[in-house]
Amino acid sequence: MTTAEIADKTGGAIAVDKPGAVVNYAYASDLLSDVMGHCGDESVLITIQNHLNTIAVCTLAGIEVIVICHGRPVPDDMAEAARREEVAIVTTPMSQYEASLALSELPPSKK
Amino acid sequence: MKFDLHIHSCLSPCASLEMSPGEIVARAVAAGMGGIAITDHNSAMNAPAMAVRARKAGLACLFGMEVQTAEEAHTLAIFDTPEQALAMTEWVYAAMPKRVNDPDTFGDQPILSAEGDEDEIADLEWRILAMGCRRTIPETSAKAHELGGLYIAAHIDRPNFSVVSSLGSIPSAPDGTPYFDAVELSRTANADEWLPRAEGYAVTRSSDAHNLDDVARVWTEADIDRFTVAELKRAFAFRLTKPSPRITRF
Repeated sequence: MTTAEIADKTGGAIAVDKPGAVVNYAYASDLLSDVMGHCGDESVLITIQNHLNTIAVCTLAGIEVIVICHGRPVPDDMAEAARREEVAIVTTPMSQYEASLALSELPPSKK
Repeated sequence: MKFDLHIHSCLSPCASLEMSPGEIVARAVAAGMGGIAITDHNSAMNAPAMAVRARKAGLACLFGMEVQTAEEAHTLAIFDTPEQALAMTEWVYAAMPKRVNDPDTFGDQPILSAEGDEDEIADLEWRILAMGCRRTIPETSAKAHELGGLYIAAHIDRPNFSVVSSLGSIPSAPDGTPYFDAVELSRTANADEWLPRAEGYAVTRSSDAHNLDDVARVWTEADIDRFTVAELKRAFAFRLTKPSPRITRF
């Protein structure tokens, strides 16, 4: 699934793009230690954690795209780090559950 | 007395490298602080260097860390001595991910020397201090108090990594015993909005400075004689602390 498709399915917008992002799995969590422990690579992360640290976790876990829920804004430092670390960010007005349903064709991400 | 209980040194990967103990002390003295606490993420490894610089400048200093708990809440454990803070550090380190920090991704983590008159790098912390530890709030509260320290809920008004944002409210033990001695408002928090949400806790305001210009930009004031854990504990117990005005412009 491409970043554009993820934005389309979640009724969202691409805040930071990553051309060629490879997304074959999905994971939903708001606890970054849980993401670290359970989310594998080639994944999209569905979360409300609109924070710089989320990018750091993505680089460690190999997450390609973040979907930020509830229309939360992407802080400048987070966007800058995402561009640097090549992580795409999509923002959606949906809740985590709605976004998960919208992306339900993706199988669950596992470590 | 005015004091700033939440200041990061260059050890914190997200803090500016200009945040050396010597520079922090100079800024705090110039700002008229009666005392400061150094609180890096999950570590007090710069406490010994801080103690030397503060002593030389005649500034009262406490030593602690901003523990990121298993609940992903930022909490301050603050002590009278570097030795207590280092004992706390050892306990936190034992529950940290065993991953090596990549300075290019997260930032540098220099530990400064406590020897000599200059701020010199003695070592680099290899652990990823930007991550949390597996200790819970109840465990961290118990350990901080067992070691003779204070335990404060950091920036409860912030949308990320605060006790309130992660847990919805300020937790206490099942028997009602509070885990925290006080709560902290960030530099921009509206006190009128947040004092009622502080659930009766003593309220502090601290800079959470990550660069020199932010050291002591906000502070807490209390009628205490000495800047010690015991005096602060008394001030908290009797709700004697008064947060400074917030910052509304950057």
